[in-house]
Amino acid sequence: MATELDELIGFLSSPSPQEARKSIIEALVNLSQVPKLGEFIIQKGGIEKSMELIGGQVQILNQLLTLLIVNLTQSDLGVKRLLQEADKLEGLYVRKLVRLFSKASEGVEDYYEHVASILVNVTQRESGRRLILDPKKGLLKQILPHSDSTSLVRRKGVISTVRNCCFEAENELASILSVSQYLWPALLLPLAGKQIFRKEDTSKMPLELANPLSHERESEGESCIRIEAAEALYLIARHEGGRKALWSVNGPRILQIGYEDEEDHEVMEAYERLGSLLVNEGIVHES
Amino acid sequence: MALWLEPDSENITPEAQTDLDALSALRESAAIELKEKGNEYVKLGKKYYKDAIDCYSRAIQQKSMDAVNTSILHANRAQVHLLLGNNRHALDDAQQAITLNKANVKACFRGAKAALALGSISEAIELCSLGLKEEPENMELSKLKAIIENKAKESAAADAERASKVAKAQVLASIILDRGVSVGNPDYEENTAHRRPWLDDSKLLHWPVLLLYPESMASDFIEDFCEFDTFAAHLDNIFGPDVASPAWDSKCNYTREKVRLFYKSNKGPKLSKGQLLGYLLEGKSLPTEIKDVEDINDNDSQPYKYLHEWKIVPEKSSLHDILARKDHIIPGIPVFYVLSKGSSFYDDFLSGHW
Repeated sequence: MATELDELIGFLSSPSPQEARKSIIEALVNLSQVPKLGEFIIQKGGIEKSMELIGGQVQILNQLLTLLIVNLTQSDLGVKRLLQEADKLEGLYVRKLVRLFSKASEGVEDYYEHVASILVNVTQRESGRRLILDPKKGLLKQILPHSDSTSLVRRKGVISTVRNCCFEAENELASILSVSQYLWPALLLPLAGKQIFRKEDTSKMPLELANPLSHERESEGESCIRIEAAEALYLIARHEGGRKALWSVNGPRILQIGYEDEEDHEVMEAYERLGSLLVNEGIVHES
Repeated sequence: MALWLEPDSENITPEAQTDLDALSALRESAAIELKEKGNEYVKLGKKYYKDAIDCYSRAIQQKSMDAVNTSILHANRAQVHLLLGNNRHALDDAQQAITLNKANVKACFRGAKAALALGSISEAIELCSLGLKEEPENMELSKLKAIIENKAKESAAADAERASKVAKAQVLASIILDRGVSVGNPDYEENTAHRRPWLDDSKLLHWPVLLLYPESMASDFIEDFCEFDTFAAHLDNIFGPDVASPAWDSKCNYTREKVRLFYKSNKGPKLSKGQLLGYLLEGKSLPTEIKDVEDINDNDSQPYKYLHEWKIVPEKSSLHDILARKDHIIPGIPVFYVLSKGSSFYDDFLSGHW
């Protein structure tokens, strides 16, 4: 088996007709679902080869390659290789993926949507979280706007990635809050329910929240997304600076209204945990 | 007379030897006389110290005494140098004295005092220890050693405190620069009692912020404006429903709804990283440069040639966002100008007639 896999990976680098390449990558995607085989592929340079090929002209290959990398980054070893830790070029692969993810246009087939899932895997590691949060690299700013994509894969991936990053809130609160303009819409809109907010509430919000909340909209249907958004907010609200920032955009009012319409028990629990944190910790606040 | 005979020449006649011995004795008694003369001069007081040194020096030059006695000469000369404040000379003499006779405890004592005066703390302690080895019960030496060790501790503590202050200021300076904040010359030190920005436990930046009211030349000082606070939140505080209008605002123009905030753009130049560090540490008006600091943005410390304009501050923005604007250079701390949409002064101000 080993030698066949070797050959397969070898074929990736050598020039082959597109159909052959497609079949090879498909095979690797399937095989990589088995952890032991995934590790083997990583050790034979699967991540590096994929990153070499990705971004090419043939879009279907790009899609398959993202799927392959998703599988390979299920393991810590895969994430380490993708992050290029201790390499002079540390972070370059991830930045390339985020760039491809952001550029993809709506309406056309979404070949890079699974990058969102790759980012979820990457942020399982602290170094991955720090890379995404680094204000100088601006990755979080590029990722967050996709939280309201029509693609479920994108939406889920973005929220999970942000939630993972919020585990660094203790040391990286400033990095998280520095993207407030995109952060609050991403985390609060899924929890805002369907109701149209009144002027007395939206007047206390920045435009990026006030606008959508003043109009009719689709609420977030996936309960897991709503739960993860609440969890991310919880991690931020554990710190006084985070709570203050949340209050300054009238966040608790949004949660209050959104909670009224919530019917899923698990999600309600998430609202309640967040709510009691905000009430108990409290800050000097003008209501 | 056999004056010019080499001392170790083979054929010294008994007569020659007697001559040599006599000479030797003469020189030795001369030296003793000089030493005693020197001691007398010292007793006579400061005016005669130079003469005392002269005597001791001549006595030493005789080279007619043994090591122990020459050591005493050096130690005595060291003492006079100490009295005159010639600490370097005193130390040299003391060291000479010790080399000639390590049991010369007085020399150790005087040497230690000289070394202390010169700031050579470790040498001072060494000399004390040397002396105490010879005379463990010597009170003077023990006392001196204790004083020196205390001084060493105080000095080390002061160094450590300064190092820690510098390190903290460096972290603060880095964070300020990372946030994209451009700091220029601090122009408002008196109005703000030299207040400085600071970091909280979550490493968020807090700034003291000055609000100026050009219409009335009044001012307000916000002691703590966290970088992620919005201007709206602070305006709510200052112009809240239960806050009275300022006394100078007879027409009640300065209300929550009517106030607008502005900053002046491009009011350069920017401080270099070294100057920023100096500003954060020392709190002086024109910061001195701290050397050995990497200056990545050196070219940005050129005087700003761009137009100064009044830029409005959207009140729902955070301080962080407004400070990060490339055209915003803060005069040490953030300063914003408060105007009222309801006053005729508003248009005058913006059209540059102020």
